[in-house]
Amino acid sequence: MGGILSETFSIYRRNMRTWLGVPANVIAPLFISGLLFILFGSMFERTISLGGFGTEDYRAFLVAWIIVQVVVFSGTDSGFALLMDIMSGYFDKLLLAPINRFSILFGTLMVSGTRALLQALVVVGLALAVGVDFAAGILGVLAMLALAVLFGLVWSCLGIMIALKTRNAQATQTAGLLFFPFIFLTTAFMPEDQLSGWFAVAVKINPVTYVMEAMRVMTLDGWEWGTIFTGVWVAGGMLAVLLAATTWMYRRQTA
Amino acid sequence: MSQDNIIQVQDLVKVYPGEVKALSGINFSVGCGEFFGFLGPNGAGKSTTIKILSTLLKKTSGGVSVAGFDLDQSSSSMRIRSAIGFAMQEVGLDDLSSGMDFLVMQGLLYKLGRREAKTRAEELLELVGLTDVAKRKVGTYSGGMRRRIDLAGALVHHPEILFLDEPTTGLDPQSRLAIWDHLKELHGQGTTILLTTQIMEEADQLCERLAIIDNGQIVAEGTPKSLKNDMGDDFVRISLGSATDELNAKALALVSDQSYVSGSSVDEDGLVINVQDGDASAPRLLKLLIENDIEIARLAVSRPTLDDVFLQHTGRNIRGDSADGDAYNQIVRQSMGVRRR
Repeated sequence: MGGILSETFSIYRRNMRTWLGVPANVIAPLFISGLLFILFGSMFERTISLGGFGTEDYRAFLVAWIIVQVVVFSGTDSGFALLMDIMSGYFDKLLLAPINRFSILFGTLMVSGTRALLQALVVVGLALAVGVDFAAGILGVLAMLALAVLFGLVWSCLGIMIALKTRNAQATQTAGLLFFPFIFLTTAFMPEDQLSGWFAVAVKINPVTYVMEAMRVMTLDGWEWGTIFTGVWVAGGMLAVLLAATTWMYRRQTA
Repeated sequence: MSQDNIIQVQDLVKVYPGEVKALSGINFSVGCGEFFGFLGPNGAGKSTTIKILSTLLKKTSGGVSVAGFDLDQSSSSMRIRSAIGFAMQEVGLDDLSSGMDFLVMQGLLYKLGRREAKTRAEELLELVGLTDVAKRKVGTYSGGMRRRIDLAGALVHHPEILFLDEPTTGLDPQSRLAIWDHLKELHGQGTTILLTTQIMEEADQLCERLAIIDNGQIVAEGTPKSLKNDMGDDFVRISLGSATDELNAKALALVSDQSYVSGSSVDEDGLVINVQDGDASAPRLLKLLIENDIEIARLAVSRPTLDDVFLQHTGRNIRGDSADGDAYNQIVRQSMGVRRR
């Protein structure tokens, strides 16, 4: 099994090089995150007076959502990267090598994890720059980053599955639209107390809400274990299911 | 070079989903160190075959052994992959990597250490003459350079067998010759090469043995020479100085009396004479006619080419267009009664 580790690492390095090789790949999501953070932060600044936010700083409230949306949306990037290799034939070249074929999948997922980490890190840096005070301290920030990586992998699995299923670049990118409701049907901009009707119900059903809330309590309140564990369980459970599904699909398609 | 077959294929069948039959039971074998070619048009089943042999594609049925490993055994595919190198038709290159990075990555994939991979990459860049552009991204390479870097990538691990799927299709003649030189050299060093092509000249120049494949079946097999010889006679074509019917008839009568002439006819361009050996017969025919005061305007010798072999076995030209290539083709079609005057 020592082989698969070094193989995965080789493929990871190559995929990172490919990702970093196109500056737009790196800059665009970072730019969007920064932009959303500043725009929504300023736009809804006053809504804090409605109450129930658990903070007086709307930007602090927003941090968790910004992190979640950036890692969710980058899920399609993983699928897209894999698809590019499939279409160029490079994927076949990898399959021709005497390596475990799962190292190709894992190498791709590791890039997704790294990307989620970097993106979350930039959001955290931005938050610190505008004076957000993370309640759970440095360990809390690290925990948030870890959760962001975990959750990034969840959506990367989805992206990869869509890519493997459709084998079409446009479809893979467009499929990102399916992620929209998951991102917005949450306590993105308003706390639960301020939501009502079907929206409140949808937010309760949406698993993304729980992951985001875990990050939010670490930002605003500190180590509220109940909420944090729920978030970790939801993200971990989703990852377990989707990773199994992705592996199964990948095995079937590369046999 | 051993007598053993390094590739052995029996009754290989591939049916794609939707009941599309790509291979309907092909048999062939390749000897150790042999340069073997698959000649056929697009969609004939060449790529399918080579992809099955290289473990990229699953066969539907049949027996395949590559480098001594039976494809049906689960442990074989990894061993086969270690033994082969594959340069592909849809050049599977990593456009965003530099040529150097691409080759180092190939080295790592074939279990070389990082330093070893680097050294090997430098060697290979030198070999295919791309040292100068090693740092440039592969995406900026010309068609010929892409094929060369791809070939280099297939050689990192000194494979016993090299698979080449249409290695020079779409290349300019100069780049094609460069690739051919590399292949000849590799073959000279003992590498077994299995190549697919739809370029007659490529098959003729490089391959020791050929299989002509069409519609998922091997329709002919042999050395390029034997395949051409099987086609039969050479042709000598003679146009007379003044092509009156009378003169043509006189010349025809003279020619057809010769023992070395196996057939003769007249078409709108002049005489068409079937002989065993065109080059040796031409001067004799020339002499014969001149001695009989028949003036000659033109003389041409043509012998069967692989195009003709292909036409013969598949009933069409390899490019899929109507067969109106060279003079020989036309003569063959006439003699086959395809075109009537």
